[in-house]
Amino acid sequence: MSGTTDPYRGYRGPTRALMQRFDITVWCEVRARTTRGVFEGLLLPRSETSDELHLVLKLGVGYNVGIRHDTVLELERIGYREAHYKIPEKEFPFDPTHPRVKLFGTGGTIASRLDYRTGAVIPAFSPGELYGSVPELADICNLETEKLFGVFSENMGPEQYLILAERIGEAIRAGYDGIVVGHGTDTMHHTAAALSFMVQRPPVPVIMVGSQRSSDRPSSDAAQNLINATWTAAHGPIAEVLVCMFGPTSDRYNLLHRGTRVRKMHSSYRSTFRTLGDIPAAMVEDGIITPLKDDLLPRRADREVLVQATYEERVTLTYYYPGMHPDVIDALVDRGYKGIVIAGTGLGHVNRKIYPALQRARDAGVQMYMTLQTLWGFVQMHVYETGREILGLGVIPLANMLPEVAFIKLGWALGLHPDDPAAAQRVMTTTIADEMTDREPHDGYLIYQGGVPEIREFLGKVWR
Amino acid sequence: MLDFPDQPFGALTRQDYDILGFMSGLEVHQQLLTNSKLFCRCPAGRRVTRVDAEVLRHMRPTLSELGEYDGTALMEFKTRKEIVYLLERRSVCTYEIDDTPPFEIDEEAVATAIEVALLFDLNLVSELHVMRKQYLDGSIPTGFQRTAMVGLAGTIPFRVPELGVDRVLRIRQLSLEEDSCREVSDVGHRITFRTDRLGMPLTEAVTEPDLVTPFELQAAARLLARVARTTGKVRRGAGAARQDVNVSVAGGRRVEIKGVHYHRRLPLLVHVEAFRQLNLLRVREALADRTLDPSVLAIPDRGLPWETSDLAADMGGVLRHTTHAPLREAITRGETAVAIKLPGFAGLLAHPTQPGRDFGHELAERVRVIACPVDPQFFADSDHRGPGPSEREWREVRRELRAAAEDAVVLVWVPRDDAATAAREVVLRAREAFDGVPAETRQANRDGTTGFERVLPGPDRMYPDTDTPPLPIADRVVAEVREHLPETPWARADRYLALGLSTRTAQQLAGAPWADLFDAVAPSGTAVAERVATAFAQRLPKYRRSGVPPEAHTAERVAPLVRALESGAIRLEATGRVLDQLAAAPTANVGSILDRYRAGPDDASRFELALASVAEAAQHMDGRSPGTLVRWGMGELMPAFLGRLDPALVQDRLTAALSAVASEGTR
Repeated sequence: MSGTTDPYRGYRGPTRALMQRFDITVWCEVRARTTRGVFEGLLLPRSETSDELHLVLKLGVGYNVGIRHDTVLELERIGYREAHYKIPEKEFPFDPTHPRVKLFGTGGTIASRLDYRTGAVIPAFSPGELYGSVPELADICNLETEKLFGVFSENMGPEQYLILAERIGEAIRAGYDGIVVGHGTDTMHHTAAALSFMVQRPPVPVIMVGSQRSSDRPSSDAAQNLINATWTAAHGPIAEVLVCMFGPTSDRYNLLHRGTRVRKMHSSYRSTFRTLGDIPAAMVEDGIITPLKDDLLPRRADREVLVQATYEERVTLTYYYPGMHPDVIDALVDRGYKGIVIAGTGLGHVNRKIYPALQRARDAGVQMYMTLQTLWGFVQMHVYETGREILGLGVIPLANMLPEVAFIKLGWALGLHPDDPAAAQRVMTTTIADEMTDREPHDGYLIYQGGVPEIREFLGKVWR
Repeated sequence: MLDFPDQPFGALTRQDYDILGFMSGLEVHQQLLTNSKLFCRCPAGRRVTRVDAEVLRHMRPTLSELGEYDGTALMEFKTRKEIVYLLERRSVCTYEIDDTPPFEIDEEAVATAIEVALLFDLNLVSELHVMRKQYLDGSIPTGFQRTAMVGLAGTIPFRVPELGVDRVLRIRQLSLEEDSCREVSDVGHRITFRTDRLGMPLTEAVTEPDLVTPFELQAAARLLARVARTTGKVRRGAGAARQDVNVSVAGGRRVEIKGVHYHRRLPLLVHVEAFRQLNLLRVREALADRTLDPSVLAIPDRGLPWETSDLAADMGGVLRHTTHAPLREAITRGETAVAIKLPGFAGLLAHPTQPGRDFGHELAERVRVIACPVDPQFFADSDHRGPGPSEREWREVRRELRAAAEDAVVLVWVPRDDAATAAREVVLRAREAFDGVPAETRQANRDGTTGFERVLPGPDRMYPDTDTPPLPIADRVVAEVREHLPETPWARADRYLALGLSTRTAQQLAGAPWADLFDAVAPSGTAVAERVATAFAQRLPKYRRSGVPPEAHTAERVAPLVRALESGAIRLEATGRVLDQLAAAPTANVGSILDRYRAGPDDASRFELALASVAEAAQHMDGRSPGTLVRWGMGELMPAFLGRLDPALVQDRLTAALSAVASEGTR
């Protein structure tokens, strides 16, 4: 971080000039005589996204306050006290009887600290730091960590998927008993899908985990998520790519979701991750893993894993809307896109107006696949004439594959077979990791509606 | 000072409190009268008992901005509580239960907070920074309270004639923050909260510790409440204003008593706390006299104390058949009974601290709060007679611990997982006795005593809220609020003094809820104003208590009376009676009520007739003293002439007439 040694960190324009005029830097204890009275405190760095008009003082009582530059008559330096924010780092204890777990960090807020530059939360990650904040981990495994990237979830992409898949493969071959991937939650389901395709038939659990409430707060879900994810990786019997996040919003159990059937469904709830169109793979709570599905792939002793880290980036996901003009598709074709996943309405429909564009795309060799905006249910293009017409235009239905999963899979399939469209198409229509299922169980679609008496009764009885 | 005798409340003078070095300050939490909560759009002020759903959470300590774990935070974590929140659909949304980030801060609340800050003469900040103040007790689901500093360092006039106080009160700060949950129950490892109140905006006003007697403290609390209420934008009623009190005596430490709802309870509480501190200082002195130091109470941080330390022993085996039933039953249930040796402490656990409590209670309370025993009886110590193990059993415990006669021994029995914490807390609290008074937060009991709540938090528990941007408070906004500032109680009192009211009446009226009515009817002339103010003070609270509707005494209904008093059409003595009549008939025509007291042209002739008939009747009342007769006669005459004739004149005429009758009789 370049700005860390800047004595005026975060201050620009008039506030910076003011500090220079009175020979004051950040971390100075100052007495500010202003038109609004006298204020005393520690001058903190200012977030760069905040305005350039205010100084931030930390008062003796712990509060921060902003002092507007043009109210300041005089700044007097009365001390200097630089703060070093540090998670108490203790060496992670080694226990020869514990399984070895590798934790890959990608960024996100699984463990974090505050950043003065942005006023935001930045990750903290070493085993020592993790042990300092979640000492329970030492009772679960011998943890080793490796920070692969320091990016927020929204900045994860194909470049990172490839590295992550390769490194997971290496860790498996190196004999780790389980893999944990710390990840921001926004695009965790994209990465989970990518890993589900790129790392096939791992012999050990590959568990993705994150937190919806940053770990700098007492009510964070981070510790429980991390404990349960680490437990699942170290001791769990399921050798699959799974997402391990809160089941209910209450601090009770975590759910393990298959990487291809999971989706973030709420912008901020702890229980945001849900399995769609199926039931979750398992529950985990207090060191007990309860399988929910009966087709889970068991942990194996061997070290064999099929890693296929490849990706074609010129694919896209198009969310159809009524009245869509054909030029939207035309533009993609003109820009050289090789594959388009459409999220269509209902059973997999788009309007007639874009038929010519679809035809043109097909003729240009662009692969087109149909998924659903409804998220739940199957693409069924034979039911209505519209569907049959679209099929005739070369759009291939993808059953109940989630749109984001189809998008990731298409990039991967075209990466695997860049010069063989038929092979790529075969990959797309062949189920690899439950991304399409033969059947939807009766309880694969449960969105409870609040207010209904039976649900009220349920909520009265259960810590949801 | 240590030999200052323990005194009951009410027996001490201001000088006595001076000798004790009594100091106190206030933190007044005042809910604001907004439509919405502070950071979400839930309605504010709904109080419910209905439960639609429950959520379970735990709290973990985190790091503060400057890199230290806060002491309170660590303590709360030791308690490992299950925290259950009761949710009611209409009063709470996903924000309060920490499943949605905060929305924009409520502007109404910010404006009111600025207004209150200006009334307190505080230096306003230029930019509000929302901070997170950690509370791991579960009272806020996020684990922190969002709070922002609004203003600092102000003074307001502090005049309390009856206490001889006439100085300024220094206000340290005012912050705007969200309210916490209401606790429903706290049993063992589970604490349950209601969330209706959670997130409501409140201001926290903090005074400097300048209040040097319990009564000054009470007066200051009332003053602060009054100032906030002048805005008309704060909530009233039960729980709408709650005070925390900081108390210390010379050599003691700041102790915070939390959540006192009633001003009248304040003086006793702080008096008792002052003597608790004094007594803890005596315990410290006693330890020093015994040439003990804290090193006798060293105990390892980790492991099971009864395995790692000579100070503790597991007594489950020895006391399996104890005569003390609660202990025996606990052991049978599988709980762990630990004995802890406190070297050199013999006798000190029985040292009194508060009325009916002693130093042993201090240890027990720590265990109760931090180790969460299941059984209400979980503690016994060797300084006490009464319920507990037998003499013989105590001897066995002592033998097990190799405890000498000068050592005190404590027994606690709690569930196995909590036993190590319990034993360590006993030792930690005993060690604090060498320091005298531990800085802590205490809960107020009804009888004026207090109980341990938690270790007093420091500034370390404050860190910036990353979910909310700083909010500039522009000069323009401040100017706007300043322009519409309500009159302060002291400005009001000054105005009433200028009107000629006595100091006491003026001060009382300035703080009274009927001051607005007084201003609306605007009595002119000192005598009328004093009479109206006094009559209001004597009567209006009584009317309110007995259920008279406020409509009985609107300005429209009271003003004609005041005008009649001013013009002399009705004499001042009738003021109270007229108010009573208005109360008795809230919808009756005011004019006809006033007519009963208005002087009329035939008053003089009617009086002569009435006087004659009273004098006549007096002739048949033999054997009464002249005084009795006059009082009787006044009672007969005055009701008909109240407001019309001067009672002194009536009495003079009556006295003369009666003595004429008497002398006639003699003749």
